Amino acid sequence: MTFGLLLRQIVRDLRGQGARLVFFLVCLGTGVGAVVAVAGFSRGLENGIRDRARQLLAADAAISSLRKLTPTLENTVAGLPKDVEVARTFELVTMITAGSSTAAAGEAMLVELKALEGRYPFYGTITLAPERPLTELLTKDTAVVAPEVLSRLGLRVGEDLAIGGERFRIAATIAAEPDRIGGTFTLGPRIFVTKEGLDRTSLESFGSRVVRKTLFKLPPAGTREDLERLVATLKAASNGVLEYRIETYAESQANLRDGIARVDKYLGLVALLSLLVGGVGIAQTVRAWLAGRLDSLAVLACLGFRPREVLALFLSETLLLALAGSLAGAAFGTAVLGVLPLFLGDLVPAGWVSAWQPAGVLRGVLLGLALAAVFSLPTLLAAGRVPPARVLRRDTEPLPLSRLSISVVLTLLFAGVFGTALVQARSALLALQFTLALLAVALLLAGVAALLLNGLARIPRERLSYRLRHPLAALAHPGSGTLGSIVALGIGVLVVLTLALVERSLSSQLRSDLPKDAPTLFLIDVQPDQWAGAEKELRAAGATRIDSVPVVMARLKALDGQPVEKLAEGAKENKQWTLTREQRLTYVDKLADDNEIVAGQALGAHGATAKTLFVKPDVAELSLERDFAKDLGAKVGSVLTFDVQGVPLDLTVTSIRAVNWKTFGINFFFVVEPGVLEDAPQTRLAAARVPPEREDALRSALARSFPNVTLVPVREVLEKIAALLGRLGGAVRFLGGFTVLAGVVILAGAVGATSSRRGREVALLKTIGLSRASVSGIFAAEYALVGLVAAGIAIVSAVTLSHAIAVEVFDLPPAGTAGPVLVAALSTVFVAVAAGLLASLGALRRRPIEALRSE
Amino acid sequence: MTTARPVLDLRGVTRTLPSGDSPLTILHAVDLVIQPGEFVAILGPSGSGKSTLLGIMAGLDRPSAGEVYLDGEPLHSLSEDALALVRRRKLGFVFQSFQLLPNLTAKENVLLPIELSGVRDPGARATALLAAVGLGARGHHYPVQLSGGEQQRVALARAFASEPPLLLADEPTGNLDSTNGTAVMTLLEELRARHGTTFVLVTHDPALAARAERQIHLRDGRVERDELRASRPGLRSA
Repeated sequence: MTFGLLLRQIVRDLRGQGARLVFFLVCLGTGVGAVVAVAGFSRGLENGIRDRARQLLAADAAISSLRKLTPTLENTVAGLPKDVEVARTFELVTMITAGSSTAAAGEAMLVELKALEGRYPFYGTITLAPERPLTELLTKDTAVVAPEVLSRLGLRVGEDLAIGGERFRIAATIAAEPDRIGGTFTLGPRIFVTKEGLDRTSLESFGSRVVRKTLFKLPPAGTREDLERLVATLKAASNGVLEYRIETYAESQANLRDGIARVDKYLGLVALLSLLVGGVGIAQTVRAWLAGRLDSLAVLACLGFRPREVLALFLSETLLLALAGSLAGAAFGTAVLGVLPLFLGDLVPAGWVSAWQPAGVLRGVLLGLALAAVFSLPTLLAAGRVPPARVLRRDTEPLPLSRLSISVVLTLLFAGVFGTALVQARSALLALQFTLALLAVALLLAGVAALLLNGLARIPRERLSYRLRHPLAALAHPGSGTLGSIVALGIGVLVVLTLALVERSLSSQLRSDLPKDAPTLFLIDVQPDQWAGAEKELRAAGATRIDSVPVVMARLKALDGQPVEKLAEGAKENKQWTLTREQRLTYVDKLADDNEIVAGQALGAHGATAKTLFVKPDVAELSLERDFAKDLGAKVGSVLTFDVQGVPLDLTVTSIRAVNWKTFGINFFFVVEPGVLEDAPQTRLAAARVPPEREDALRSALARSFPNVTLVPVREVLEKIAALLGRLGGAVRFLGGFTVLAGVVILAGAVGATSSRRGREVALLKTIGLSRASVSGIFAAEYALVGLVAAGIAIVSAVTLSHAIAVEVFDLPPAGTAGPVLVAALSTVFVAVAAGLLASLGALRRRPIEALRSE
Repeated sequence: MTTARPVLDLRGVTRTLPSGDSPLTILHAVDLVIQPGEFVAILGPSGSGKSTLLGIMAGLDRPSAGEVYLDGEPLHSLSEDALALVRRRKLGFVFQSFQLLPNLTAKENVLLPIELSGVRDPGARATALLAAVGLGARGHHYPVQLSGGEQQRVALARAFASEPPLLLADEPTGNLDSTNGTAVMTLLEELRARHGTTFVLVTHDPALAARAERQIHLRDGRVERDELRASRPGLRSA
């Protein structure tokens, strides 16, 4: 057969295959759409970050730290060539109040303040309303604020607000800020002031946590080498102290990028699931199509087509249809990318992810083609084995595949799933886990479904009404083909329900499972001499369960003589941060009851007193939190050396504590023996329960009397996290929905595939006197049973799986499942009935004589 | 008018099928030689092995024992691929149920074997063949748009399309009324005469078989009678 003939024959063969084309489009379209959307989204975000890397850092390079630069570093910065521009920013979370002359006088709120020194930003622009340059509007007496500040406090541009007790005039609102990403968690809206403005408030000197950044900009002619030289100079001057994080724009946002890579991986696999479920649909469609063409296949053989030519013909046709389906899916995925921002809210800045992502489209189309080939191959191989003698004897069935062919096909199938998972996850281990898990789930679903169908077949049907007897018989009879639909639909429901349940667990934990006596707010940065006054304000606001402890900031220098820098070498960024960040130490007479000693002194005690906990007279003792000790590699007997604001201090670990963080009480990683830290510079941290209706008044009162004290409302922060999680969960469920869609399509496909049998069934039922409505009723009952079986298995699996994930992975109590389970069951049954009836529509409409005559 | 090489030469062809404990023998050591240009009818009641014999002659089925030569090619030992090539070059088929490819038009059905054999300008040839069966104007119709008689005439055109030396027909008028059946049979004989094609017809209809020059009667898988009916010699050789 020549190539030209192959092409001509493909074109001739594909005519009048509209229904099959639609099936391919839908089966592959949903999966490919999901893959393209996920790949495009992560790729788009990644590109967005890369394109905006300079804007995100607002500079070419930066030093960030909580401490002021060391004199050596300061000297180095001062000694840099004149054409290297330097600017500084100071970021802190603080309270502000509406100015005394405004309508909302004294009302307070939490904000993220950023004080600027020098020309900022070097890259990108801060867009203001009114549209004037920042340098022009920002003086030491003015502030520019995020619009939420105005709406929350009922202020207007031109009015006053108080920061750290000092008055600032609102000069403008911020329309866009280059280095603030919506997806990152924030405690409050942004406010810009100048460094001189911040200095007026003396907020910095109160020991607040201030993130200091020194930003550098090379001259326009600066090269990559110049940048590397600059970074090398700064790194040398920092003397290897990891606390000074020196980064260039190219490496910035490492955490964000890691996050995106993770999202890409996991969402990519969720997307792949819908593609795989679609693959089952392809297999089904191809099988049904070939089953209807066995006669034609035999004729082709008679005309002299060789088996491999038949395979080439049908494989080409399948791939052509798959290509059409994949392209449609790519278009669909691209459209999804267009509307995805609606689901993500402000997680991703507008305009970052462009809907057209060629790499994502390519990935989706290739995966679609590969899976279509893999899933249709077993059936296509059988096509080559249709005996031509079928032209003489219609009952001649395709010859069975040899054992070798079957093993090759199974291997290909496994390799196909694994290969596509590898493309999506880019980790062999994860891809293998995914493939095996999917295999296990599919086998489980198939096994249980087979058992259930077997059980249904054994129900004595004689006494049942024909309305129930018929559907039961239809499901149970051998070769009914319902097993595939149940497995596909089941996987879809399983995925979506599991995701929904896990997310529900997480958010219900965040939203409502706060212990009854958990604090409703925290006060941070309270100066020791302010505590008495602050406590009075708390009591005046009806606060109960007031608790407060001293906080001493210190830096870990060494563990058992090993410098921290050495321990951090080669460690992951998270661990480096754990080791080198500013640590908070406290000292108490009695531990809270949610502390259990799990090693060392006072073993087994809950809420031990200092007297029982710290008994060694010769060393300064420390009780360490269990997980932190594990991260650090410290145990009872380890000596931790701290730098307490310039003073070295050795602390010996004499006990390890397990802390129940879910109480939301005040707890610390480091609890030091009383009598050691009393003279160190310190602040107080307080927690209390305040009736919600009095929180605003308390916030205003505190802001008035103690402008440096920050009130963090627990409920509000948790709500923000829950909302963030909800949006992420929404996106995941949206993707999971594709899997259900694919499952539904397959169900419809399975029904459509048996349409000739269906047609004959309808004809016979009508001939014996059933109305079209009764026949529809019988069919509806059959599909409802399919839906019920699929939903039942999927629900049991999803509840088990989500409980396991909630308890094992997230350490959460499982959330109530009744609501989602009911919704899942009802919607699965509904969808199964709707899809089944729709696919039977043609058969139901035909007149009985047509169906009977065509047999 | 014999030639050196027979078109079909069956030697001791046996066909058994597995059936329960003991295998079922459909054909018992059939010997048969068909010379070029012969018109042979194979007759026999239902279950006598007619269709099985036809399948083996066409290389659609393989004998369990014995040898089959089609124009000198040993069908019994060829691979599936080689058998397909033999069918492509040397065989034309006409079936009781027409067996047109439903998604091809009448003309495309005729075109396919011509294209497969690599003939130049297959379109003109297909048009000529359709005109010869009286369907010159119906080439663009699909099988479902044609009557049974018309479909069978398309099948005839297709059978002669690659000018095969051997034409096999299995109850070609079985699905047609008598008028159409007669018309198709007449056309078939005309075409055969024009192309000089050897023709093997399987039927259980004595009237149809009466048109053949030689009749081979099968019973229970054995050749019961092999008789020449016309002046043309259809010699049996051992």
